Amino acid sequence: MMSGLFLIAARNLGRNWLRTILTVLGASVALIAFVMLRTVLSSWEVGAEYAAKDRLGTRHKVSFIMQLPRRYVDDIRNVPGVKQATWANWFGGKDPGKPNEFFATLAVDAPSFLPVMDELVLDEESKARWLGDKKGAIVGDVLAKKLNLKVGDKYILQGSIYPGDWEFQIDGIYTAARKSLDRSQFLFHWSYMNDALPERRKDTIGWVMTRVEDPSQSADISAKVDKIFDERDTQTVTMSERNMQLSFMAMFGAILTVLDIVSVIILIIMLMILGNTIAMGVRERTREYAVLRAIGFLPWHIRFFVLGEAVVLGIIAGAVGVGIAYPFVNGLMGKAIEENMSAWFPYFRVEPQVAIAAGVIAIVLSTTAALIPAIQAGRISVTDALRRVG
Amino acid sequence: MIPVKYNYRNLIVRKTTTIAAAFGLALVVFVFAAAQMLGNGIKKTLGRSAAPENAIVMRKGSSSEMESGIEESQVNLVLAQAAQIGASKKPPGVGEVLVVVLLEKVGTVGGVSNVTVRGVPDDVFAFRSSAKIVEGRAAAPGTDEVVVGAGIRGRFKGLELGQSFEIKKNRPVKVVGVFSDDGSSFDSEVWCDLHTARTAFGREGYVSSIRVRLDAASKFDAFKALIEQDRQLGLNVQREADYYAKQSEMTADFLTIMGTMIAVLFSIGAMIGATITMNAQVANRQREIGTLRALGFSRASILTSFLLESIVLAFLGGGAGAIAALGLKFVKITMLNAGTWSEIVFSFEPTPAILLRAIFLAGFMGVVGGFLPAIRAARVSPIEAMRA
Repeated sequence: MMSGLFLIAARNLGRNWLRTILTVLGASVALIAFVMLRTVLSSWEVGAEYAAKDRLGTRHKVSFIMQLPRRYVDDIRNVPGVKQATWANWFGGKDPGKPNEFFATLAVDAPSFLPVMDELVLDEESKARWLGDKKGAIVGDVLAKKLNLKVGDKYILQGSIYPGDWEFQIDGIYTAARKSLDRSQFLFHWSYMNDALPERRKDTIGWVMTRVEDPSQSADISAKVDKIFDERDTQTVTMSERNMQLSFMAMFGAILTVLDIVSVIILIIMLMILGNTIAMGVRERTREYAVLRAIGFLPWHIRFFVLGEAVVLGIIAGAVGVGIAYPFVNGLMGKAIEENMSAWFPYFRVEPQVAIAAGVIAIVLSTTAALIPAIQAGRISVTDALRRVG
Repeated sequence: MIPVKYNYRNLIVRKTTTIAAAFGLALVVFVFAAAQMLGNGIKKTLGRSAAPENAIVMRKGSSSEMESGIEESQVNLVLAQAAQIGASKKPPGVGEVLVVVLLEKVGTVGGVSNVTVRGVPDDVFAFRSSAKIVEGRAAAPGTDEVVVGAGIRGRFKGLELGQSFEIKKNRPVKVVGVFSDDGSSFDSEVWCDLHTARTAFGREGYVSSIRVRLDAASKFDAFKALIEQDRQLGLNVQREADYYAKQSEMTADFLTIMGTMIAVLFSIGAMIGATITMNAQVANRQREIGTLRALGFSRASILTSFLLESIVLAFLGGGAGAIAALGLKFVKITMLNAGTWSEIVFSFEPTPAILLRAIFLAGFMGVVGGFLPAIRAARVSPIEAMRA
């Protein structure tokens, strides 16, 4: 009985093909926009979500452009619970031939950097080559492709924070074992840079990365680290990698809020499109519903027809929308963004939860849009409706 | 020609459908205009910081003042070169130190962001004559007193008149005044004494950049050539306007591209919505259309009439959306600008071009959305329609 009624409800969609197709299209477009925006938001959070749980970062307390003394690393290594520590400097170099190309250039202490950043995948051969080559550098696979770099190539970076032209040899190309790692970084030996600096600037580092034995102790260890330096000239702030990412993301809070709001506006538009269609259908069928009521169908039957039709409409719209959005975002957009904006979005793909949510939202919105028309349809007064002209 | 009044009355009689369709269109236009206003806002805010006759000198290869470092001894050299070209106003230029500090955002839990602190010489207000102290007083030279920009005041912990914040352990600086530079990006900065900034941030003997005020914008090329030909100096000269345009480029482009993409998708949705609505209108008005045809109106005038109705609807929605977007003018946003790595306070700034584009988009949606239904209306056969 129920399934029979449902089938009738669904078949009602076939009565005005043009409208059904248009509605499905409209709702799908809204869903595509929704999926796109949510993907921007979720990709933005990838850094925090996939941050290593056992890693801490230590930086200058006042400003990220200020440096720490190199010896701080040794002090941190002596803190109980700390397994490994390494450091890096933001080099801020550019390809002299492509001054508008942005990629991260870091001076790192390779022997301690690789074990701490264990999501960075580098084959043994390249690793050995890099560790033994003073002027050696490794690059992420995305950057290597973009700059057309191969192992063995010579490469020159123009420094600004560290002025001058710096020559490197590419010793390896790394890939990422975790989504949060930027695959377009340029990494080279800190010692190479440090040896070339004037006395005044020697032995300073940008930040320290630490691995702890027990992630549950990280808050405690962070406090201990900061306490060591509290009485010295340069104070530090230490926090988990996740918190560091979160505080960085919060700086762009305004944009994220706007995207969040816009993604809700899209749903409102979708609701209007669906609601309009359903309301129109009901209005046109007023007479028909009156006839059904006259031959013995109950108000809930009529409501069931309206809602059933809406649910089917929602399912179709959801399937079409997500079906288009998934390949579009993952295949076309995601690829382009990962290649060109890898520093911001190292991993730009639709999360399965987002896709599922979009599908569910389509059905829920469609049903919601049908609620008022359904209630009204059930209230139809048989005599009035039959008397009505038009 | 069917009188426009017919369309106008129709929209009023069927007001629920009209409002629903117009609301959808309004949202599209609103988002479209708002995104562009935001992109424009950040460009304008940074653009206002530039004076046409001013040049900024930085170390070669630096993309921002923050990265650049110039030896103190070169400052006088650069200013002497400028005087040779023609820089007669006093002072002809300033060497400044630019750093950022991490401060806690007011109204958030643990939210921090980068605030620009500019170490300025004593005569900075003479150099930037558009900047004025609007509350409190100017900082006394050589002390740990600072003045804050009107845009950023009160938005971060310690950045309010009478409050203080630490630039180093046990080295608080006190806010003694608030200055305003007509909504430029300087309004998002803290200005402190040059020497204080240098000692606190380890920049002894250095400045970040040198700003030079030439007598006329036309002197720029000669000045640039003179400074850059000296390879020993290793300096780069840019017009302030070009420098600031670059600083806002990344964020402004991101906002505009993102906004346009969303608006395109939105507008497809809204056009489909309009088609559905107009289609239903046509279906409901079969009889009316038949009557009009029987009265002697041609197919062409029916087509025009329905298209017109759709366009009027679109302009109604578009106008409402554009007006709502204009209302955003009074909203101020503070956000990290990707170019400068520091917080900038800016607002949505409309331009006639943006509004025109928004209204044009509405008209376009009306035409496209109304086209199919209008054709359908034109094809109604009078005899069948009257019989139905």
